[in-house]
Amino acid sequence: MTVSTEVVGAARVGVGGPVGSGKTALVERLIPLLRGEGIDLAVITNDLVTKEDAERLRRSRLIDPERVLAVEAGACPHTVIREDPTLNIEAAERLDAQFPGLELILIESGGDNLASTFSLDLVDYWMFVIDVAGGDDIPRKRGPGIIQSDLLVINKVDLAPHVGVDLDRMVAEAREVRGGRPVVLTNCRTGDGVDGVVRAIRDAVPLGRQTGKSAGSGSR
Amino acid sequence: MNDTPVSDIETLLMACQFGDGQFPSGAFGFSWGLEGLVTDGLVGRGDLVPFILGQVDGRWSGFDRVFVAHAHDGAGDEAALCGLDAGVETYSLASAQREGSRRAGAALLGIHARLGTPGAAEFRKLVSAGKTPGHAAVALGLVLAGAGLARGPALALSGYGFVSGLTTAAIRLGIASHIDMQQAISAARPVIAALAQSPVLPIDEVSSFSPLTEIAMMRHGARSMRLFSN
Repeated sequence: MTVSTEVVGAARVGVGGPVGSGKTALVERLIPLLRGEGIDLAVITNDLVTKEDAERLRRSRLIDPERVLAVEAGACPHTVIREDPTLNIEAAERLDAQFPGLELILIESGGDNLASTFSLDLVDYWMFVIDVAGGDDIPRKRGPGIIQSDLLVINKVDLAPHVGVDLDRMVAEAREVRGGRPVVLTNCRTGDGVDGVVRAIRDAVPLGRQTGKSAGSGSR
Repeated sequence: MNDTPVSDIETLLMACQFGDGQFPSGAFGFSWGLEGLVTDGLVGRGDLVPFILGQVDGRWSGFDRVFVAHAHDGAGDEAALCGLDAGVETYSLASAQREGSRRAGAALLGIHARLGTPGAAEFRKLVSAGKTPGHAAVALGLVLAGAGLARGPALALSGYGFVSGLTTAAIRLGIASHIDMQQAISAARPVIAALAQSPVLPIDEVSSFSPLTEIAMMRHGARSMRLFSN
């Protein structure tokens, strides 16, 4: 058998992280900023037991509801973005076909633990979202999501003094375990810091229709 | 001295690869009505073996198996495959069943197209162009034929995948243990083996009788809490 080469459509950016860390809130903040930069955008959500995240985005009026697809993960939030991302790939290809000018698809994983990572056959770039209320020892735990993600987002920084978190130490440890790769601090409730996420995406991800090797290569 | 021909072992390995629950075709996202039955209390702990055998008899034997077999025979014949595909669309009562079958078929065609399985990319183009729905049974028959698997092993793989998908869903729904799962597969194995070698009905005699699972799939779309696509 041979591996085929084909047009792979819009760039895809994964947004992973534990339940309640603020992934959907981040996506809600990213949508207007990315659209404000003229980027043709769509979103796929992988809710674990409901379509709540997809419905929340559809109702938000931030984006055409038809540009939001929900993919059920069958109680396997890891599998659907890593071992078997075919349902997400199929959903992304549906969006590519439906919206010919599409440049970027955000793929929000179902809430999970620190071990979740994205298949590089699914996404071009992925970020992992944690929050200070989860504890300032999370970076020290060195989960694959913390270590391997292209971008680590530490959210809810405004809560640090209220939950006894030493934010400076948390950030320093995050940078240390990630070998200096990017870490961005956000408060998605107010939008503070989200522009840093946009810049990280813009700096790292070529947007627009792309052509490349579609599978088996470790990258799209 | 082992007298098993190398070609037989290669065939066995191919069936293992494509029938493996880890083969990336999105099967884990579908429960084919089981989630609804469990939610409504109609299937619970201890019911797995009779449920699986009932589904093999009521759904796989007379429906999926027949379409997989005819798609296997018709691989390479675009008109025949599209005709079969239209049949699955027509005879699948619940929208969640049709939609799930189309999505599972798209995932299967996608991975086989990327792997270069003969026939997969061509049929996938027809699906992408909206010329045919691309149902899972048709996709499975044509890709396994394209991969070089004979019809008997292809039907065995289809039956195994059918049972494996339902039993793994049962574990995630909390009504079965890993032992229950293996016992259910063991119970279904001789039935699938016999059916894989049995004559296949003409396509106009295809049949299915699984009313509760079909009703469960009809109700699935309206549920706010759900793990699976159907």
